[in-house]
Amino acid sequence: MARTIALTFVILLGGARAFAAPGIVPVTANTCVACHSTLADRRLANPTRLFGGQDVHRERGFDCVDCHGGSPTSPDKAAAHDASGRVSAMAFRGKPTGRAVIATCARCHSDAELMRTFAPRQRVDQATEYATSVHGKRLTAGDTRAATCASCHGAHGIRLVSDAKSPVFPTNVATTCAGCHADPARMNGYTLADGSPLPTRQFADYQKSVHFAALTKGNDLSAPTCNDCHGNHGAAPPNVGAVANVCGTCHAVFAQKFAASVHEAIFDKGCVECHANHAVAKPSDQMLSATAPGVCQPCHNGDDKTDKGAAAAADMRGDIERLKTGIEHSSAALAHLKNAGIEVSDPQLALREAGTRLTLARTEMHGFDPAHVAPILADGMTIVATVDRAAQSGAAELTFRRRGLFVSLGAILVFVVALGLKVRQIDRRDHERRTQSAGR
Amino acid sequence: MITIGDLPPRDGVGRSEFDRRHFLDALLIVGFTSTAAAIAYPVGRYLVPPESGEPATASVVAGRAGALRANSAAIFKFGSKPGIVVRTAEGELRAFSAVCSHLDCTVQFKSDTSQLWCACHNGTYDLAGNVVSGPPPRGLETFRVNLRGEGDDAEIVVSRT
Amino acid sequence: MSVIDWVDERLDLTEVRQFVAEKGVPVHAQKIWYYLGGMTLFLFSVQLFTGILLLLYYRPSAAEAYESVQFVVTQVKFGWLIRNVHSWSANLLIALAFAHFFSVFFLKSYRKPRELTWVSGMLLLFLMLGFGFSGYLLPWNELSFFATKVGTGIAGAVPVIGRFSLRLLRGGDDVTGATLSRFYGLHVAVLPALATALVGVHLLLVQRQGMSVPIDVEKKLKPGERLRQMPFFPNYILRDVLAWYLVIAVLAALAAFYPWELGTKADPFAVVPPGIRPEWYFLAMFHTLKLVPSHVLGIEGERLGVIAFGIAALFLVLVPFLDRRASRGERSPLFTVLAALGLVYLISFTIIGRYAK
Repeated sequence: MARTIALTFVILLGGARAFAAPGIVPVTANTCVACHSTLADRRLANPTRLFGGQDVHRERGFDCVDCHGGSPTSPDKAAAHDASGRVSAMAFRGKPTGRAVIATCARCHSDAELMRTFAPRQRVDQATEYATSVHGKRLTAGDTRAATCASCHGAHGIRLVSDAKSPVFPTNVATTCAGCHADPARMNGYTLADGSPLPTRQFADYQKSVHFAALTKGNDLSAPTCNDCHGNHGAAPPNVGAVANVCGTCHAVFAQKFAASVHEAIFDKGCVECHANHAVAKPSDQMLSATAPGVCQPCHNGDDKTDKGAAAAADMRGDIERLKTGIEHSSAALAHLKNAGIEVSDPQLALREAGTRLTLARTEMHGFDPAHVAPILADGMTIVATVDRAAQSGAAELTFRRRGLFVSLGAILVFVVALGLKVRQIDRRDHERRTQSAGR
Repeated sequence: MITIGDLPPRDGVGRSEFDRRHFLDALLIVGFTSTAAAIAYPVGRYLVPPESGEPATASVVAGRAGALRANSAAIFKFGSKPGIVVRTAEGELRAFSAVCSHLDCTVQFKSDTSQLWCACHNGTYDLAGNVVSGPPPRGLETFRVNLRGEGDDAEIVVSRT
Repeated sequence: MSVIDWVDERLDLTEVRQFVAEKGVPVHAQKIWYYLGGMTLFLFSVQLFTGILLLLYYRPSAAEAYESVQFVVTQVKFGWLIRNVHSWSANLLIALAFAHFFSVFFLKSYRKPRELTWVSGMLLLFLMLGFGFSGYLLPWNELSFFATKVGTGIAGAVPVIGRFSLRLLRGGDDVTGATLSRFYGLHVAVLPALATALVGVHLLLVQRQGMSVPIDVEKKLKPGERLRQMPFFPNYILRDVLAWYLVIAVLAALAAFYPWELGTKADPFAVVPPGIRPEWYFLAMFHTLKLVPSHVLGIEGERLGVIAFGIAALFLVLVPFLDRRASRGERSPLFTVLAALGLVYLISFTIIGRYAK
């Protein structure tokens, strides 16, 4: 009795006041919140706090009972938690776990007509996708540790994917996945297809990659994170043969060249054979070699003269290095001339085209055929030669200026000598005049 | 000062002395004139405005209006970087930096799709400079275009702001 | 009728004719030092001339200064020549100004009645250093930007008015486009106006008082005896012109063999290049300030150094009033020694400052 009075009192005063923090829209006072917010057990009290903060469902008018069932208006605990379905519209189901989570979310999110009234563009096949994922398959097999909707999206205080604080915002995805996948204790017992334990280095590796750098430091939100290669809800590692397609969704040109090359049929892991899967580093020309630190070895042997692959690598690498050196020299020569005051913006512009050839060659190289790569680099060398000729004429202009000044220097010195003689002449005349007038 | 045409001294020093003095005076005139010319000539050429008009920091002439037909483009030099001026199918002039924001290759105009395309890794930009597809992380820098003059001979002036 | 007669009919050139006929230059063993003043004046007019030419193309904004200098040097016909001459002539001007200063100092030409000539000359020397400092920033390249930063920073060490002076010089707290505008105004308007006025005063005094003769030579004269004079027109002036042409020759040689570079455009947010130094004419002072310990008797070292230089400058300006012996026409070995010490200090510290790490 006292408790009921106290609760009623709390409803009247506490319901809104409990969420009186500025900026937070108070939950329409319902008995779930009124009671749970006062509970000592934080596991029961926290959800009310989170749900009362920023939550995408609450902001659209959804309530505790829409997922949990039960009655939001009875202060009586038994009635509020009524599981029979007689007191409330939806029977109380407590905290959903395992497959019940999927069912709870999919009740709305797989309903196209319902979702159209809230977010017409949002997909409604997440649950179907999820069923194909490793997580989904394990869950169906009875593994309660497998990730469900709530594991990544949260349950209370859910934010839109476009909200920077959401655990599934692009910059946060890897950290969310790593919450389980980087924890050896959590991953204990899971194995790869070949029986070896599931690695937990992926997040650490990914943090070393160019993709991570582009995402976090480069502010490029289109840079890939876990879900871009592994899938969103249908999360699974790409199969053998699929890797090149996955990388090719962004790196289209390279995938094209690779698909036409000899390595396409040979490589099991596609791009990953040379470029790694998580710790994808910024590629360098040094990789193109059959001797360490090149990645062509150990399949190809740089010391073996009959190894055609090693020879092809050496050819392409040699041409690339030649063009690179040529561009560096020309660039330095032009910079020197520019500093000395010769107009060089035209050759500088032309030299950029040589740089473009270098980029194109590095792309073409993924076809692994020197016959296609060589003409591009030869083109680049021609441009470098033209620029060098321009640099030479610039240097000639400098020499011409120097010579011109030299000539004028000669003229000046002639004049100086003549002037000196004139001075002496005038002095002598004055001296004669003086001695003459003195003599008279 | 220099007494040219001075009479020889009355006590007659001799023709050679007279000739030498005249020779010296002539040499001095020649010397002075040539050095004065060596100074005046460069100064004179300096004062004549050079062809390129002014430093190409803020704006540059990209070409003649008549030389650019509808749905075509031309590359021009802006400082030491390439720019591209496009005439849309409707006849409007637009100018962008031709440096692809991915790896600095020079973009080109594709008249079949009316888009700007980078041959290196297939980056595509629309005629507002925005990235349509491919690896470029940012759009192309957009420049302001104005016409100076009338008709086909009007200069296309591209400015940074 | 000649042109001169035509002008004479209208302006009465009697005084001018008298001046031309009578002006003479004393002849003695030390007369070679007389040419230094004229050479300095010649270089000053070269600077005015080439400076005005550069003004036609230069743009004094942080966004365009470097590019406009680049434009002059690469696009304008003979722009490289005008710019090279201006840069080299600036250095030669300051070198000759110092030489002129030292020759006057050693020969005691500052003594009575020429005290004001000395004072105006000292002020002109400071103005020339100001010209050098302000002009150096104008190409807005990396070296000049950081040298200006360091130099104006030192100005901040002056006691009492230091902070105010620093802000006044820089046009703010840091070296920015505002500094460039200010230095430009100083370099092309304020300093030239002051310098022209002072040169006018300096020349007027020299014409009125004639050339000073060294004390030793004066003492050897018998009472009533006058030194032999060389007529100014044409003997001395031809020699002057010869000296000026030699200066032109040196300028042309320097421009040919050591053309002035453009450098890289200033980036205010770049790291200060290691070993940044001011131009050679500030090196001695700069290196001295670097050697002063950071704190001396509770006073900040740099501040003490700046105060010391201020006192030294004031002392130099007042030398004619302090050197009593010279004013009486007597030999003044103390001041000769001071001059020698000053010269040795300047030369050695300039060299050390150039090569010190």
